[in-house]
Amino acid sequence: MCWPCWEVMSVTLSKLSLRNARRQAGDYLIYFVTIVMVAALLYAFNGLVFSQEIQELSSGMAQLPMMIVMVSIVVVCVIGWLVSYTTKFMFTRRSREFGTYVLIGLTGRQVARLFFLENIAVGAVALGGGVLLGGFLYQILRAIIFALFGTPYHFTICFSPGAVVLTCVYFTGIYLLAQAKSNRRIRKMKIYDLIYFDRRNEGEVIRTSTLRKRVFVLSIVLGVAGTVLIMLRDLTLGLIGAGCIIVFLYGFFLSFASGVPAFFDRKPSRKYRGRNLLVFRTLTAKLGTMGIAMATISMLFTATLIAEGTGMVFSSLFWGRAIQNSCFDLFLGISSTRQDAQAYLDYIGEHIPVEADLQYQVYRGDDNRVSEYLIEKEALLPYYDEDLVLRYSDYAALRRMLGYPEAALEPGSCLVHCMPYLEKAVKKYDRPVVVDGVELTLAGVYVENLCQYGWDGNGGNFILVVPDELAEAQSVSHRIYAAMTTQPVTKEQFAALRAIRNGPDRMDYDTLKARSEEEEEAASMTAMTVFPLYFLALVLAMTAATILTIQQLAEMGRYRKQFLLLQKLGMDRGEMAGTLRTQFAIYAAQPVLPPVLISVSFILNLGSLVEPGIMMGANRPGTLAAVALGIFFLIYGIYVMMAYRMLRRNVLPL
Amino acid sequence: MLEVKNIEKYYGSRNNVTKALDRVSFQVEDGDFLVIMGASGSGKTTLLNCISTIDTVSAGDILLDGVNIAELSVADLARFRREKLGFVFQDFNLLDTLTIEENIGLALSLNHQDPDTVKRKVEEMAGKLGILDILGKFPYQVSGGQKQRAAVARAMVAGQTLLLADEPTGALDSKASKNLLEILSQMNRKLGGTILMVTHDAYSASYAGRILFLKDGRIFNELVRGERTRAVFYHEILDVLALLGGDVSDVI
Repeated sequence: MCWPCWEVMSVTLSKLSLRNARRQAGDYLIYFVTIVMVAALLYAFNGLVFSQEIQELSSGMAQLPMMIVMVSIVVVCVIGWLVSYTTKFMFTRRSREFGTYVLIGLTGRQVARLFFLENIAVGAVALGGGVLLGGFLYQILRAIIFALFGTPYHFTICFSPGAVVLTCVYFTGIYLLAQAKSNRRIRKMKIYDLIYFDRRNEGEVIRTSTLRKRVFVLSIVLGVAGTVLIMLRDLTLGLIGAGCIIVFLYGFFLSFASGVPAFFDRKPSRKYRGRNLLVFRTLTAKLGTMGIAMATISMLFTATLIAEGTGMVFSSLFWGRAIQNSCFDLFLGISSTRQDAQAYLDYIGEHIPVEADLQYQVYRGDDNRVSEYLIEKEALLPYYDEDLVLRYSDYAALRRMLGYPEAALEPGSCLVHCMPYLEKAVKKYDRPVVVDGVELTLAGVYVENLCQYGWDGNGGNFILVVPDELAEAQSVSHRIYAAMTTQPVTKEQFAALRAIRNGPDRMDYDTLKARSEEEEEAASMTAMTVFPLYFLALVLAMTAATILTIQQLAEMGRYRKQFLLLQKLGMDRGEMAGTLRTQFAIYAAQPVLPPVLISVSFILNLGSLVEPGIMMGANRPGTLAAVALGIFFLIYGIYVMMAYRMLRRNVLPL
Repeated sequence: MLEVKNIEKYYGSRNNVTKALDRVSFQVEDGDFLVIMGASGSGKTTLLNCISTIDTVSAGDILLDGVNIAELSVADLARFRREKLGFVFQDFNLLDTLTIEENIGLALSLNHQDPDTVKRKVEEMAGKLGILDILGKFPYQVSGGQKQRAAVARAMVAGQTLLLADEPTGALDSKASKNLLEILSQMNRKLGGTILMVTHDAYSASYAGRILFLKDGRIFNELVRGERTRAVFYHEILDVLALLGGDVSDVI
């Protein structure tokens, strides 16, 4: 290590490093807050990795540590890039200072080390603060997971040495990644470049207007093509679509930011209208040189919204399925071909205390006219060749068991019980229903939860309820045992039932559902997939918002001078505030628009892939897209407001 | 002490080359106070940057005490800067996170000096420059003139043999400029320091013993003060500048 005079200089240099680190924390408050938050999130999620009590909640949680570690590695890379970007940014703004160090005799390596020490100091403080804050975040995550599993939450002070060590390892990774690039940059830089860095002109990436126009048009075409390809529900085409969207983002921002000045140069009347000149010249001076940064920010926002939306769709899917499958405490859909169905009932009678139960049969109707109608109207998935039929007496008993109000059946009529998404279409059904050659009129539609999702349930998403004698004349589709128990079905009991199903006489695949199992599976799947996705989304959003705000706040000195001059030229404060607000609003909105368009299409498309009837009510894809955008804008809004307030306070003359 | 031999410096790309220095040669002896004058863009700062190792020459050699600075290794170059060269810039270049005392002492500590010696030498140099009372202050707490004197102190405190100053009075008012120039002059006369100063101000230049006039990257003229008074020398400088065709603002 080339540090020949460290012992002698240590007092001055360490003091210098500390002071610079302290000053950095002031100048880059938002960056610092982000790093603290990331440390807190890493610690909180690492707490889950090492938590025995969390993993013991369900056997399905065994994969949780691996999922969190995988996402954490992505987070380390993203934050490594953020730290690298910010240190590069700080470096360029302090290059003259570093040049002075070299001028008075420090070598490039020594300056790199000094800068490294400063950044390590900032990182160490952020890590310390993050671990403290992470302790509280861990409690929040713990409470949410306990709530998911329906386990009572009690606050207990948790400190996980393993989580601290893993967080430190991640932070070391982040800083080594960032510093490796920074050191190379400093060592390679010549003293002249350091001292006169601020005199350099920033260049536009695309210089000629013809090329700019072409790139702009091409990028728009690729953006539209990419979105369409993603929506085609094909993996290969989807990947090509994602590539198109990345190219679109870079092309769009490189050509758009440098194309605005050209636009105003061609239309001078617009340039001199209102505050346009001031707003757009200042804005384009900034945007013209940060097209690549803007595109990267936009890409990060797109990834944020996609991760967030995917998490929401998954969560709705898991819980939507669980709700559909868990109206009874225990439900067995038994194939009509199974010979030993009594084995289930024997086991239940011996081991599971039952409050109320019913064994009944589901029959095949004469034809599939109602199914065909619903396939046409609501894209019903055709589970059976005929419409399924239930005896009215069984239906009435099931309603009583579930505590639903009584549903009367008049002679010559039938009822339909369906999943809520079919209700409207069924009510509009105006043709007769024929069972055993008898024409029946539709007298009522009911949509309470009745275990109608998937195979071997009470019909495939809908069932016809007919007079007993008509149903009994039909062939049996499958048998059902439904029960409400005094205690939730335990894992052991469910495993025993499953063993009976998978026994040597297995002829067909029976459906076994227990409310406790369904809810636990949904909770495990949510914890394993949705939590990491939200974690990733949060980190991506914070990273992009931080870069955007740093870029803006870095111009404070220049803006202050500009507004002082405008004040001298006679502009009043209100007008200056309006100009600043407009500039900032356009600046903040720009990288958000493409991600909003792309991600809304993506979420709607992903939601439509889920089988019908699962994502209903507040879980409709459109609602999820709106909620995803709401959460995103809340986080982004916090950063934007913080940055704007800082800018306004520091820039506008009193 | 310093020998500049046929140096040339080009800037720009292949299609747009600017010749900033064109076969410039001169010598500086120990104890000289040499000023380089010229209009904006004449190449004077480029020349100073090349001598001070901030920039590199495109052709030619610069020898300091017989050593070609272009041939020094990175470590030798750092030591060379620490021990032999002192820099003073128009905008001071003090580190705003250090006090004036620490700014001055930083170069000494780089020269392996023990802390007691650093403190003693800093106070000694500060006393000579009249800034003892501001040693505990930060750069933003003192005036421009005091900042520039602190910059001179930093440039000379480690016993550097050549002081390079780029428009040192450029950011100062006339009183602070005069004060600084008196100090530089004393440093030169009493301590035997060699000074190479770039300026476009005739008044500042009149403190020098010798002046080189640059025009379009070439040495256009040379004036030696000799036994003349500063007032006479000042008028001679104005005459040369008039011949040089510099801007009026450069002269006044």
